[in-house]
Amino acid sequence: MSLARWEGLLREVIAIPGVRGAALVSVDDGLVVAEAAMDQLDGADVAALVAALVTRATRLTRAIPADAPRLLHLAGDGGTLLAVLADPPLWLVAVAEPGAEVGRLRVLLGDLAGAVA
Amino acid sequence: MTDAPRALPAAVPAFLELGERLRRRGQLEAAATVTTAGLGQHPTAAAAHDLLGRIRADQGDDAAAERAWRTALACAPGHLGALKGLAFLAFRARNLPAAERFLETAVARAPHDAALLGALDRVRGARPAGPLEEPLRLDDPASGLLLCDADGMRLSGALGIGQSAESADSAAAEATGLLREASRSARLLGLGGVRHLVVESSDVRLAVMAVPPGAALVARRPATTPIGRLVATAQRAAVLAERWIEGVR
Repeated sequence: MSLARWEGLLREVIAIPGVRGAALVSVDDGLVVAEAAMDQLDGADVAALVAALVTRATRLTRAIPADAPRLLHLAGDGGTLLAVLADPPLWLVAVAEPGAEVGRLRVLLGDLAGAVA
Repeated sequence: MTDAPRALPAAVPAFLELGERLRRRGQLEAAATVTTAGLGQHPTAAAAHDLLGRIRADQGDDAAAERAWRTALACAPGHLGALKGLAFLAFRARNLPAAERFLETAVARAPHDAALLGALDRVRGARPAGPLEEPLRLDDPASGLLLCDADGMRLSGALGIGQSAESADSAAAEATGLLREASRSARLLGLGGVRHLVVESSDVRLAVMAVPPGAALVARRPATTPIGRLVATAQRAAVLAERWIEGVR
């Protein structure tokens, strides 16, 4: 899939009200592959943090044992981070403000992750 | 428990076949004697503990049946016969949430088992309409609730039926590390304090949340559990856990 196509998908994500930014990140090396509207967020930070979270979550599921994670949803007092496995090692990530339509965002990211894969 | 005999795997010890035949004939004392004697030789044979569970259930001794089936799960985590048996006992005791949980776990392991799916439908159909609070027990591994301290040491519970203590300890250590990482990420991204972190895989859904002062709680449910229900369950469990920690201190 081309970079332009990825960026097109990310623009669909940021069209949801309250979404601060979206990115496609590689968790193997913690790098940003594509991003959209990450003005107030450092894409490199987001990628590195998501990579660390995925690594930790994978260790937890392995300890249970259960299958590897395919979705992470971090709900904070000041917003939400959603990350969905697309085409390994790529994850689709969105950061949203409080009050954003998180349910809709989950569904959309799931659909787009399928498109990326 | 007078259901049809379960198919026994090939090359099972002879005592299992004899015990099953005696059970089917209603000679329950003889069946128990044969099975117990066989367990003396094969103490880790999950199928034998499962058979003993069915014999005890037929005798109306639910406590002994539960012990036998839990032992079967300890020998073979996810043993279908034991899960069905425990679901049966829970259903008989009208503990429908527990029956549903055992059946959900069994269905996750055998998703095409029509009898299991039918049983799950019946249990769900028997539940009263409207909100129903699932009983939560922090000390019961079958509750799928794990509580750990700030250092990643397990305080109580485990993440599922049949999970070994070693595995639960390992999960506790990893859960604490994950929650710490989530707090760091939330802070750096301006998301504030962590309310909860949900981890989904193809077979489970986990909710991880902080419990003051500094502890962590993990709730595990099958992947079919609605996400809102998982978070609500974890929130209730966190409140319970906070009181439990206060009591311990």
